[in-house]
Amino acid sequence: MLNPMLFDLIAMVLKVAVALLIALQVAPIMVWVERRQAAMIQRRVGPNRVGLFGFRMFGLGQPLADTIKLIFKEDFVPKQANKVFYVMAPMITGLAGLVAIVGLPLGSYVEVFGTRVNLQPVELNAGFLYLFAVSALGVYGAALAGWSSNNKYALLGGLRASAQMVSYEIAMGMSLLPIVIIFGTLNMQDIIAAQSGHLLFGFLPAWGVFYAPVSMCIFVVCMFAETNRLPFDLAEGEAELVAGFLTEYGSMRWSLFFLGEYAMMTTLSGLAVCLFFGGYEIPWLPQTRILELLTGAGLGRELALWVMFPLGLGVLLGKIAVFMFLFVQARFTLPRFRYDQLMDLGWKIMFPFALANLVVSAVWAAIAKFGLP
Amino acid sequence: MLSLPEMGLYFSFLLFLIGLFTVMFRKNILVMMLGVEILLNAANLAFVSASRITGTMDGQVVMFMVMAVAACEAAIGLAMIISLYRAKASVEADDLKLLRG
Amino acid sequence: MGFQEIVFFVMGILAVALGGCLATRRNPVSAAMLLISLMVVLAGMYGMLDAHFAAVAQIIVYAGAIMVVFIFVMMLLNLPPEELRFGTLTVGEIILTIAGIGVAVALGTKVGQGYLVSALQLSEARAPLLPETENLRNVAATMFTDYLWSFELISFLILAAVIGAVVISKRRHGHAESA
Repeated sequence: MLNPMLFDLIAMVLKVAVALLIALQVAPIMVWVERRQAAMIQRRVGPNRVGLFGFRMFGLGQPLADTIKLIFKEDFVPKQANKVFYVMAPMITGLAGLVAIVGLPLGSYVEVFGTRVNLQPVELNAGFLYLFAVSALGVYGAALAGWSSNNKYALLGGLRASAQMVSYEIAMGMSLLPIVIIFGTLNMQDIIAAQSGHLLFGFLPAWGVFYAPVSMCIFVVCMFAETNRLPFDLAEGEAELVAGFLTEYGSMRWSLFFLGEYAMMTTLSGLAVCLFFGGYEIPWLPQTRILELLTGAGLGRELALWVMFPLGLGVLLGKIAVFMFLFVQARFTLPRFRYDQLMDLGWKIMFPFALANLVVSAVWAAIAKFGLP
Repeated sequence: MLSLPEMGLYFSFLLFLIGLFTVMFRKNILVMMLGVEILLNAANLAFVSASRITGTMDGQVVMFMVMAVAACEAAIGLAMIISLYRAKASVEADDLKLLRG
Repeated sequence: MGFQEIVFFVMGILAVALGGCLATRRNPVSAAMLLISLMVVLAGMYGMLDAHFAAVAQIIVYAGAIMVVFIFVMMLLNLPPEELRFGTLTVGEIILTIAGIGVAVALGTKVGQGYLVSALQLSEARAPLLPETENLRNVAATMFTDYLWSFELISFLILAAVIGAVVISKRRHGHAESA
């Protein structure tokens, strides 16, 4: 009954709103999780006193208190700094993570008034390359932040951070190519559907990680390097370059950088989950089977699909939460790489491994598809 | 009104003019190289619009080749600029007068 | 005018405006950032022309790699903002520029487009194209059958460029500086 283009527009706006809400809410939760988990690893307690209305609530009010403090801090621009780029740099970092997350599929589909609505906010023919492309634009945030601060330490930190991000992007892209070869499509919904239809060897879910384990390892390492997290966080390392490219940033601008960093972590974790770990599908219970069970229990098809949407979204967020746990665990376990070790790892180890992995995967897939010559 | 690819061809022409004026009128070699990149992007837009007009994919394939060539040219040009800066500590085109050209 | 034509027109005007600003910035880094936005707008225009893979490749390669190298060099050299001195042009240059613009106008208007379409009436049989939603498969089919030679030669070119860039920018010890 509605004009189809208007219907598409409203559906897309709502889906984008859900995806952005997820990305924006990750940062406060991660602040609390990171500090409590660090405390557990280091055998202390961590923040557990800040609560609301007199209840302690395990310190869950801590991110709120931090945000209020940061809002009330003085907001300054250094005197000789290039004002336009100084203001723009945290925005670029924040936007790169947020614009990329709308490419993740949040569920399979729902049916509204008979029309099928794909639950992926932005679906291009180029599939997950959109996510990869936009997260590549996050390099400029670090470079501009370092340069516009008019501070030698910040400039060096910014250049190092952007060189690191560009180097590991290459290995990251190359490690995703075997997934394209194996599944034969760039469309993320198709890749997720191909991972849930059947079982490998009779008992394993047919996830991408079992088809391409080396790809997953390379991708996870590059994920750490892209988001400037330990063990690759030389650019923001406190002991080395004051605070790297963040030296001249305070109060809400600094927190905008970290919002962008957490959003980028969420986006890349989401990409890893969708390509390697089955996305929003529960391991031995594909969504087609759940649909059959629910309609068999007499629920009606449209309502069953609407029930499956939060189920799929919850599964996706649960798997992303496992990755975030891994991020924090690695931060407080591994020592930091020195810069030349970091660049050696990126160019001399990750890149040849990713290339060899691509060649082996391509040959294997060709033999599997066409038979031996 | 014009269709999309025809508008693309006209915009490609305008961008080409802008790139041409950037290369002709600026003295900083780095900005001249940015002008060359604008020229190449205008050519890419023309190729993609032409591919849409004729319905074949040749324009898009050639666009990738042009992109690869632009990448190589940018890499070598910037390497030469760095080498030049080490020799003369300046990147203004007016200061490169050794050959009296 | 349809909605798509309006949006494309606005994007094109935005691209030309960004290019115009870019040509008059004093600070090279500002010019480079304007060029990055120009490339992103162009990627949007490619997307509207149904060349989705070209759009994504434009962002990954151009805006995400080539311009990063430009920005690195500008930040490392730490150049002061230049004064905009417009150089003097000779008569020959002005005549050649006007002639060039004339040729471009001739090619860009209906005459040129007619020539373009007729020049592409190829006689060999081509692989039949899938519908427009399969842009990537179509591009791959054309690239790896008709343009395979070019593809392999481009890879050699990139290899040569990488080696050349590393060799050119190495510091030379013990060479006398030319006078």
